[in-house]
Amino acid sequence: MFEAHSINTEHKDLIHDVAYDFYGLRMATCSSDQFVKVWDQDEHENWNLTATWKAHSGSVWKVTWAHPEFGQVLATCSFDRTAAVWEEIVGESPVPGERGMKHWVRRTNLVDSRTSVTDVKFAPKSLGLLLATCSADGVMRIYEAPDVMNLCQWTLQHEVSCKLPCSCLSWNHSFSRLHHPTLAVGSDDSNTGNGGKVFIYEYSENSRRWSKTETLASVTEAVHDIAFAPNLGRSFHLLAIATNNLRIASLKPLVDSTVQSGHTRFDINMVAQFEDHTSTVWRVCWNITGTILASSGDDGFVRLWKSNYLNNWKSVAVLKGDGTQAQTDSSTPAVPGPSGGVATTSQSSTTRTSEETSSKWQAPVIKGRFQKMTWLGSDPPPPPIEKNKPFKK
Amino acid sequence: MSSRTMCITQEGPANALALNKDYSQVVIAGRNVFKVFSIEEDEFVENCNLRVGKNLNLNFSCNDVAWNTIEDHILATAATNGAVVLWNLNRLSRSKQEHVFMDHKRTVNKVSFHTSEPTWLISGSQDGTMKCFDLRTREATRTFYSNTESVRDVQFSPHLHHTFAAVSENGNVQLWDLRRPDRCYQQFTAHSGPIFACDWHPEVTWLATASRDKTIKVWDLAGKPSLEYTIHTIASVGHIKWRPQRKYHIASCALVVDCSINVWDVRRPYIPFAAFNEHKDVATGVAWRGDPHVFLSTSRDCTLYQHVFQDATRPASKANPQAISLNSKGDVAYACQVNMNPVRGSAKLSGILRKAPPHSEQFCQVNSVMHRFLSKNPREMRCFHECARRYILTGRPLSDICDHNAAVAKDLNRQHVSLVWSVVKTLYSSKVGDFGQQTPSGNVSREETGLGVPQTTLGTSTGAEPISTGVGGDGDQHSLLGGGGGETPGGAMSAGEDETETDETPEQHFNGRIGLGNLSIPQGDFFFGDGEMDPLSVDFDRMNNGMMGMSLSNGLLGGSHILLDAQVQQDWTLPSEAFPLRHEIQDRSPPPEQFPNHGSPDLNDHDSQAVTVEDQPSSLLNVTTVPQIGLWDPSHIMVEMLKHHASLGDVQTSASVLLALGDQRRSLTTLDEATQEQWLLGYLDTLTRYRLWDVGTQVIQLAWIPSVMQLNQQSTTVHTSCGHCSKLLQRTGWLCDRCHSSECAMCSVCHQVVRGLYAWCQGCSHGGHLAHLQEWWQVNKQCPTGCGHICEYS
Repeated sequence: MFEAHSINTEHKDLIHDVAYDFYGLRMATCSSDQFVKVWDQDEHENWNLTATWKAHSGSVWKVTWAHPEFGQVLATCSFDRTAAVWEEIVGESPVPGERGMKHWVRRTNLVDSRTSVTDVKFAPKSLGLLLATCSADGVMRIYEAPDVMNLCQWTLQHEVSCKLPCSCLSWNHSFSRLHHPTLAVGSDDSNTGNGGKVFIYEYSENSRRWSKTETLASVTEAVHDIAFAPNLGRSFHLLAIATNNLRIASLKPLVDSTVQSGHTRFDINMVAQFEDHTSTVWRVCWNITGTILASSGDDGFVRLWKSNYLNNWKSVAVLKGDGTQAQTDSSTPAVPGPSGGVATTSQSSTTRTSEETSSKWQAPVIKGRFQKMTWLGSDPPPPPIEKNKPFKK
Repeated sequence: MSSRTMCITQEGPANALALNKDYSQVVIAGRNVFKVFSIEEDEFVENCNLRVGKNLNLNFSCNDVAWNTIEDHILATAATNGAVVLWNLNRLSRSKQEHVFMDHKRTVNKVSFHTSEPTWLISGSQDGTMKCFDLRTREATRTFYSNTESVRDVQFSPHLHHTFAAVSENGNVQLWDLRRPDRCYQQFTAHSGPIFACDWHPEVTWLATASRDKTIKVWDLAGKPSLEYTIHTIASVGHIKWRPQRKYHIASCALVVDCSINVWDVRRPYIPFAAFNEHKDVATGVAWRGDPHVFLSTSRDCTLYQHVFQDATRPASKANPQAISLNSKGDVAYACQVNMNPVRGSAKLSGILRKAPPHSEQFCQVNSVMHRFLSKNPREMRCFHECARRYILTGRPLSDICDHNAAVAKDLNRQHVSLVWSVVKTLYSSKVGDFGQQTPSGNVSREETGLGVPQTTLGTSTGAEPISTGVGGDGDQHSLLGGGGGETPGGAMSAGEDETETDETPEQHFNGRIGLGNLSIPQGDFFFGDGEMDPLSVDFDRMNNGMMGMSLSNGLLGGSHILLDAQVQQDWTLPSEAFPLRHEIQDRSPPPEQFPNHGSPDLNDHDSQAVTVEDQPSSLLNVTTVPQIGLWDPSHIMVEMLKHHASLGDVQTSASVLLALGDQRRSLTTLDEATQEQWLLGYLDTLTRYRLWDVGTQVIQLAWIPSVMQLNQQSTTVHTSCGHCSKLLQRTGWLCDRCHSSECAMCSVCHQVVRGLYAWCQGCSHGGHLAHLQEWWQVNKQCPTGCGHICEYS
């Protein structure tokens, strides 16, 4: 069962990424409008905007949280060819007794890429404070902050060329010491003739290098997102791939191969492939235990997937994402709720119509930089409607 | 008109280019290149090289070039030495240089012809002045003083005959009337940094300015200058040019960093509408060929390019329009693109909109909505949370722990996990005394679950008689089998009974068991409806006749149930309690050699007893003294079971069982330490996400793997603070750096520094030596310091 709320983010362009922090109590959004916003949940489960700042001079593609052990730290990457690391600091409180004003400061700007930086991700915390970026020119970079207390200093540790333009990357968050640090990189190169679009890179302690161990040859279409399932206790890894459909691959390390080559070879199987989105799948995301996969596609639905004990993956819920035609859905209407301190109420269709007719065309643009957005036409349409299928046994 | 991307490379970089009035020729000019090309279908053809002659002085070194908009043979260049040079392509001589105006004192940045007056030329220079030249009189007719360091661009307005705009390095825009050279009629600050270029909109009264502050701004100059749009680019903007016939589109190229030429829709000021990435170095000039789909550009990489729109990249198309994230509660945050304008195509709309292709209209009308799907019944999270909180992992006998945890799991409707705990208890709990406690609880649960279980118990009593014969007959053989197979469990006995197995049932042991239990004949006497229960009935029989195998089969049963369970959670009616557990297997197996001699005769005896006297605990208890183990080591099953749960994502169960097992986990020899560590760390990580710090700490304390145990010993510091100023006591001893005394550690009775135990009143926080205080309070009631607090010593 899901209850849908709409959040008025007041981003002035597309939102490209949203990320919950480690505890799920904070949320960061980033948009083409070059702003990053941070939202905090209050005790009534409302999301309040607590910080907003212009992070880059180009579209901000991704935002990601570091493990809270390192502080309240965000990393962003942008069309402006840079990635940045941000830290929330508590300033000196002007009024005693009040909490100090928190604000975000840029700790570093990673400017090594010559093209748009398409993804940025922190490594599992067991590896230290490591940051991986990938860029449209096909280069994956690993940065390290040698001193975790000093977020201003990042050294470029590795630079690996993937040959194809990279669109996404994912660390393998495994807690097993038998699993080498592993990264998956996806390419959104649309030429299917260029072969596999998902690459597995592994770090070898012996050679101190990242090298490509596997290419998922069966994925030849443009890959928009990939995500390793958190591996809390599995002996194999699960990798979700968002391409023209949704795929889930299992990567089982072959034990004896490690000895020979120094690199893990994987027994790779596609355990699931879903065409339900019937269009491009843009994003995939796992829950924290790696048991539920969420995917979203151009069909405007969020679909949740779960595997049963036989490793059969099934859809467990379908969430209607965008509100433009929410009324077509016949299931129970969502309960609109105040969220983020921004009143978003479900508008009756009559209101909408009247507004539509009175609205002349106006761009979602801003006069001046910080002026409020004018959004004629309609408010965000009525919040979406959840549709929930019980998990079939 | 040709429409093909093409390029030609020159000996040097060009700083500027200009097209003639019918867009058929292009002139490029730089420090050491100055040529005219005609633009053919698929190539550039060099018409004329203007950089010729004996005296190639600085007059040939051009910052800018302009082509007369009326007279097709007149060119003007802005030279780096401050000269404005006029060129006549119709000159018969090799040198086309017509005239040199040496009026500026410093470099000329820009020259520009009037759009309708062919004889008016204006220049902007680094010396801060602009000069208007009359080509007929061949002299600078007027000089305009900008009062700034330098003028970077000057452009005649296409709308107002006498107006021109000038931009300068201090960020100001000036509007001048040609007829009033004394002062500009309008001036405003447009940017915080130098403005490098400006461009009048060909149709409306907009002026676009480009600056080092990485923005392009569009100003409406119809009245008071007002900022209409701001485009944020990734680098200093060097040049801009409005796209013809597209009201909102403007091309820009950067001065540094960015080698691409971007075409923006001013209404979507964050992401380029189209990008042209052909150049290897930054572009130095852009000129449209009158056609909105074709333009030319020069670059510092020495090339001249013609770009066509069909070869452009669309950065927005690669942009991810959706975002999704799950948090620990299972909430989904989702942002997606929405169509801003659902009433597309209505009459009203098209009246306002200029006719433009739908694509470009769609492009600028984007926005995202964000939704949050609250997981209303986060069962998974709740279960995890509750289990973590309520599980007992240590401090009690294993059987108690297992019972408790099984009850917790059951309470949370996690039957399979509950079963795991029961199995663990069965396999590893060695307390004989548990028997008495367990049977009642088994009964209770039987009553609760209801469905098939009472029938089973019924079957126990009714089925006793028919079985007894079978037992009598097969008893010897059975015990022989058991005896013979004692040291090689299962191996000899897997007598092809595989058909009774379910897939997941661990193979060998089960087979062996069935082999032993030949007595599975009277299945019909029991109320086992569906086929899946078959193995259970086998176990049941054996329970009646062979105590020995009972707990084994229960263990196996449990193992298979867990697997079955996911499938038939609701139908499941046979938790392990369904069978009265007569005794537990001892993990520490007694010497097996006793078994054939003593074990089997006993067993047979008790077989008959068990049949005739159904529930006689005393006789059953006797059996437990018989060492049966050695037959079968359950660790394999355990490991399989735990691994299965871990692979299902339920690392909590795996880790908790390991923790609860305590030292007995050592018997799980097939489970390597790395896996154990992985489970513990995984469990800890999840606990941390739910902020169950206390449980996490307990797990760490109970851990047996060094890397996990050390977690609590890292980055944890205990500070002592001065009781007076609350400054941390940095030194050894009790001297405060701020108070310069050890007063905080003084005994309030004897006024000496207390070494060791410091007792204090929690009410007034005064204290001192324990003995002194005891003494004090025997007599007094108030605090020894005289603070007035009535301390109570207890």
